[in-house]
Amino acid sequence: MQNFFQILVSGISVGMIYGVIAFGYQLTFATSKTLNFGQGEALTLGALVGLTCVNFLIGLHLGTLAAYLIALPFVFAFGLAQGAVVERLGVRQAMKTKSEAGWIMATIALGIIFKNMAENIWGKDPLKFPSPLSENPLTIAGVNIRPMEIAIVLGALAMMLAVEAFNRRSIYGKAVVATSNDRDAAGLMGINTPLVITFSYALSSLAAALAGVLIAPITLTGANMGAALGLKAFAVAIIGGLSSGLGVVVGGLILGITESMTGFYFDTGYKDVPGLILLLLVLSLKPAGLFGKTAIKKV
Amino acid sequence: MTMKKWLAAAAFSAAMTGAAYAQQTIKIGVSGPYTGGSASMGVSMRDGVKLATQEINKAGGVLGKQIQLIERDDEAKNELGVQIAQELINKEQVVATVGFINTGVSLASQRFYQEAEIPVMNNVATGTLVTQQFKAPENKSNYVFRNAANDTIQSSMIAEAVKKNGYTKVAIIADSTNYGQLGRADLEKALAERGLKPVAIEKFNIGDTDMTAQALRAKDAGADVVLTYAIGPELAQTVNAVVKLGWKVPVMGSWTLSMASFIDAAGANGEGVMMPQTFIQLPSTPKRKSFIDAYQAAYKVDRIPSPVSAAQGYDSMYLLAAAINQAKSTDGRKVREALENLTTKVEGVVTTYDKPFSATDHEAITANIPVLGIVKGGRVVPANPADLEGAGALRVKPKS
Repeated sequence: MQNFFQILVSGISVGMIYGVIAFGYQLTFATSKTLNFGQGEALTLGALVGLTCVNFLIGLHLGTLAAYLIALPFVFAFGLAQGAVVERLGVRQAMKTKSEAGWIMATIALGIIFKNMAENIWGKDPLKFPSPLSENPLTIAGVNIRPMEIAIVLGALAMMLAVEAFNRRSIYGKAVVATSNDRDAAGLMGINTPLVITFSYALSSLAAALAGVLIAPITLTGANMGAALGLKAFAVAIIGGLSSGLGVVVGGLILGITESMTGFYFDTGYKDVPGLILLLLVLSLKPAGLFGKTAIKKV
Repeated sequence: MTMKKWLAAAAFSAAMTGAAYAQQTIKIGVSGPYTGGSASMGVSMRDGVKLATQEINKAGGVLGKQIQLIERDDEAKNELGVQIAQELINKEQVVATVGFINTGVSLASQRFYQEAEIPVMNNVATGTLVTQQFKAPENKSNYVFRNAANDTIQSSMIAEAVKKNGYTKVAIIADSTNYGQLGRADLEKALAERGLKPVAIEKFNIGDTDMTAQALRAKDAGADVVLTYAIGPELAQTVNAVVKLGWKVPVMGSWTLSMASFIDAAGANGEGVMMPQTFIQLPSTPKRKSFIDAYQAAYKVDRIPSPVSAAQGYDSMYLLAAAINQAKSTDGRKVREALENLTTKVEGVVTTYDKPFSATDHEAITANIPVLGIVKGGRVVPANPADLEGAGALRVKPKS
């Protein structure tokens, strides 16, 4: 039983990472029906910018935790700016030409450019991110957890709750929700929908950057860290449903927990298989995702 | 002169200088991953090769010509390695190629060298199959050589250490690449020869960040030692998971446990981990001292990212240069024959090579050469200090 909980905990922390990146996919899909296929690279850049800030602050004789907390706003600001750049440079231009798939190539292209930039600035080797919390595991009811794993879950939840609260409570958030529901109608009501879309891209990169700095202390930081995670998170977004913020979080947890459980109870070599089978099942049985709303498209 | 004549003259002179240039240099390919998870090995290997080349060129080059290195990054990807092999052979027309860090890339790419009858010197890839892929008698002659401790040697060293320390319940955690799985098979064989059967065999993919399930399965199976076959970043995740479970268990594995990306990322969790090493960054012989000093001066580092790769890369170039000098030709067939019957002693960093290869044996490193290393204070040091002291410092291949 203790093993079960140990595996559950590790599945939850991995799943939460998937969830928070997938949350970023969902943010832009809701407002613009487009996705940033460079989400993985946004995560990478966030983590690397965070690493530079943290190392700089530690150089000023700050404690690791203080350095980490002070670095966070800079990482967020960078994430916002990076997302806005992706939207303005890539997606908006591609949308203007009314091409169905242009934005896909544009976001992938920008992702590759960002990755190469990261390789040139931070080098190609994986780097160690100083851990703000103790690296010694805590034992809670016989289950060992690294403090950073708890921070991942709490940080991800806090970010998603903040976005939800913003959407429900503030007038700007309502503009986002209105754009999500019906972009044309929102535009007619005087909402600056292009700005809302830029904002949602900015927010989605912020989510990825946050995911980056949350996981960096327990994984390694490097130009390639986001590629596999971005892809897994995309699967999560499909499983959970791209139209539901809650859905992608649950989707992330489902995938994370299934992977860990399969690895432990079945065979570690087949760890990735059930998640992908689940993806295929969802696509064939409920294409809008487990929590998605089925859209009716009149032709 | 008319325009046409001008153009013809320009083209002629360009062709002449091109031809003259080609005659002045001997092109040698250097293929390895300079980006990605294997980069610390690839970059160290390349830098070792460059260091040796500079020294050889300064001393007059080979056959009176300068060596020109053609470096290519294979990103540890098999398909890219194959492309590079064809480019180096057909477009660059290299005389030989040194390199290959990744067993998979090596197995996929070296068949082009074999077909073109151009020698290839594997200086890092350790898969046992690497030098066996084109062995006689199925093939008339084998163009694949190696100066790295292959997995058969490494796995028996690891299994021997397991037995010597009295561990009986072994868990193997390996990655799903060619490297991890071929090594895992070698390890199982070496353990079986000593009457041991692993209690758990676990697997993970490159890029995985959480190895809790693997570590927990091994722990549950009652393992008293964990053996690994993988590369740096994932190895770090593995020991991190072991420590997270509060599981006090010795970890041993293939030489990749000496990679900077493992040592740095695992930090305190990586202390005490043991692995076979052909070279440890200690000035235990004059040659090693001058190599380490030269490396540190040239690349402005204190700790070589992957000392083994740097040393083997350095040696591979000297072996090749000796063979070209002896063959008095850059013809692939003659260079291969010279390698198989090297008459000059080559003083390398890892060992002194005295007839390292023969027609049937393309492995320069034998089981007696590597020593066990251990991670201490963020560096690899000999597990048994006597290994690198006095008369024991230089171990050479026994005469056959």
